[in-house]
Amino acid sequence: MRSVLFATAAAVAVLAAGAASAADKIKIGHLADYTGATSDVGKPYGQGVADALAYLNAQGGIAGGPVEFETIDYSYKAPDAIATYKKWVDAGVVAIQGWGTADTEALVPMVSKDQIPYFSASYSGHLTDPAGKGTHGSKPAPYNFFYGPSYSDACRALVQWAAADAKAKNIAQPKFVHMGDNHPYPNAPKAACAEYAKEQGFQVLEPIQYSLKPGDFKAQCLSLKESGANYAFLANTGGSTISLLKSCETVGVDTQFMGNVWGMDENAMKAAGAAADGMVFVVGAADWKSDAPGMKLVRDISKVSDASGSAYRPVHYMRGICSVYYMKDAMEAAAKAGGVTGPNIKSAMEAMREHVPAGLDGVCIPSTWTPEDHRGTTKVFIYQASVQADAQEIKKIGEADIPRKPEWLGW
Amino acid sequence: MAINASALVPCGQFKTSYRKDTTIFPTPVARNFAIAAVLLLCLLPLRFGEFELLGRYELNLLIQIGYYGIAALGLNILVGFTGQISLGHAAFFGFGAFASAWLNNSWGVPVFWAIPLAGLLTTLVGLLFGIPAARIKGLYLAIATFAAQFILEDFFARADWFTGGSAGSLAGGFSLFGYDVDGDRGYFYVVLAYVVVMFLLGTNLLRSRDGRAFIAVRDHYLSAEVMGINLTKYRVLSFGVSAFYAGIGGALFGHYLGYVSSEAFTILLSIQFLGMIIIGGMGSVMGTLLGTAFMVLLPEVTQALVSTARDFVPGADESLAFIKQAAIGLAIVLFLIFEPDGLAHRWKMIKAYWKLYPFSY
Repeated sequence: MRSVLFATAAAVAVLAAGAASAADKIKIGHLADYTGATSDVGKPYGQGVADALAYLNAQGGIAGGPVEFETIDYSYKAPDAIATYKKWVDAGVVAIQGWGTADTEALVPMVSKDQIPYFSASYSGHLTDPAGKGTHGSKPAPYNFFYGPSYSDACRALVQWAAADAKAKNIAQPKFVHMGDNHPYPNAPKAACAEYAKEQGFQVLEPIQYSLKPGDFKAQCLSLKESGANYAFLANTGGSTISLLKSCETVGVDTQFMGNVWGMDENAMKAAGAAADGMVFVVGAADWKSDAPGMKLVRDISKVSDASGSAYRPVHYMRGICSVYYMKDAMEAAAKAGGVTGPNIKSAMEAMREHVPAGLDGVCIPSTWTPEDHRGTTKVFIYQASVQADAQEIKKIGEADIPRKPEWLGW
Repeated sequence: MAINASALVPCGQFKTSYRKDTTIFPTPVARNFAIAAVLLLCLLPLRFGEFELLGRYELNLLIQIGYYGIAALGLNILVGFTGQISLGHAAFFGFGAFASAWLNNSWGVPVFWAIPLAGLLTTLVGLLFGIPAARIKGLYLAIATFAAQFILEDFFARADWFTGGSAGSLAGGFSLFGYDVDGDRGYFYVVLAYVVVMFLLGTNLLRSRDGRAFIAVRDHYLSAEVMGINLTKYRVLSFGVSAFYAGIGGALFGHYLGYVSSEAFTILLSIQFLGMIIIGGMGSVMGTLLGTAFMVLLPEVTQALVSTARDFVPGADESLAFIKQAAIGLAIVLFLIFEPDGLAHRWKMIKAYWKLYPFSY
């Protein structure tokens, strides 16, 4: 009994000490999906965020002191994300590194009210309209930021690539189809991209639905085969895309697949094997094999969770790092402007013009945020997977610069 | 022989009339105890300057126990008192949450009224999905209610007009007489009021003719029918009552979180509701509350233990999610083996022990 008492007393003492020393630290919440439907890409991205924050702390922290951050795995359940958010607000976090589209979009009114900058891993076009001036019914999302091209812009870039590809192959009226789960994340670019594909002369088919949870998708592949689609945009994450590619290989589909930014990476390519050969997808930063000068810092950060330095990091890892470093730069600017508070971080973010965080040249795409437009970057890297018997690789096959049309804001 | 009767405390409880046997509380002491407990709960959210009795986190747990407890009581009326089974309780819970948000968002019904109205709407849905109960029972009924779970879940993800589709819908805050109940401290009282009212209603229901009919159906449906109880009516009614409780609980949940999404109401939650009443005690009103508290607090306690252990055991962090789920499963198995009558029974044993202390025999 006495030992129990001691243990309790010790635990209380530790908690109290923690609370006292945490009083003046910058607090950051980190929401990650390590066990849910999108965990296949959630793990490398979350690792990138966590490593970058830990690395920054080892280097003296942000704005003059180490930051306190908590990583919460919410299993891609939006209600859990909201509950976690409420807990964090109570604990006094000043900024959040978030994850999914469903939860980020649901939190928009709350983070606006609480003035907490929210750096999501959701690149939904709905989050790019800070003032609510978009013409497609977008609601104001003043405190939402993300690093990378929006899902809609990424899909537009793929449509551009497909249009050029169809022209080269002499396909008269190519058919385009959107494939994804009935979930806010795959749905985000659905309407915007379909509209753009129509403009580009595609015949847009009825979307085909497949679950975010990996499964047997032969039925969907048969529908795809019957539809005769030439280009299919896969809006889910890697895990379910692997299953889809394999199912479609079995069924004998010869559609050209195009994956969004979370739809394909090196792990997914390995798992899908020959089925992934030729798939085109979007990448939002340098890849691990890049020789950009900024990769030195990335490799140092990677050593936080892999001391040997031998781990291969999928493309999402780099975007996680970029997201943290933009936040860091904004916090340091905010500290100079009178204090690391939500509104100050927001104005610092909105003052960035073609900004690349120091040390990450060639890794993060130069990004610009303004008080009217939160489309950080509209530049899209297009990669292709190549799977041969002896070698698997991803290589960059193009770049697109999507115009910042005002009518595409928030869409 | 003029012994003053009031001077004697009877050794044991003797009920000399039927009325005394069916009081809400078994003894006056128990009643005073319950009133004192509610008053004590009323004090918990208070804050005196910097000092607060309970942090927001603990309050959040109590609120959870409240809305889940209400829904679990509904399931206990269906399973524990009427002897039926439902694997679709989470879907009814979700329907209540969506209905309340919908009434508030689309029709401008104040949240104060939307919550009970959502309960009534959910009752209708419950009655509808309870119809198979008129014909089937046991495992077959379990599968029929399982269908309700899936039909409603899919409905939530698709019915844009009602639920906002896969994106979910925002649920407004609770307000009373133009005063916004903002934050957990205020909402705690809303949930507490509902818990008190719903649990008193539940207890009273079971003292009524209908409640006794439920129990008769459970104990021996053939005898019940012979005694003139309309089996179909009571089986379906039990589903309706159960759904009403689920709807109220769900509506409270929705307005508490401020956001309702179909992801929250999966079959797992249905099973958890069953877990709550099995652990708490089937056919016990108070046991329902105990079981809910157990199920809500168990993951938190595991989390606290794992967080403490992470300094000593490498990798404890990563397995946290697994340990939490495994602990719930293990708890149910252990309860089924060692305490099939649930926490309510254990509580009675503890009371009996102290009543006779130190001369227990």
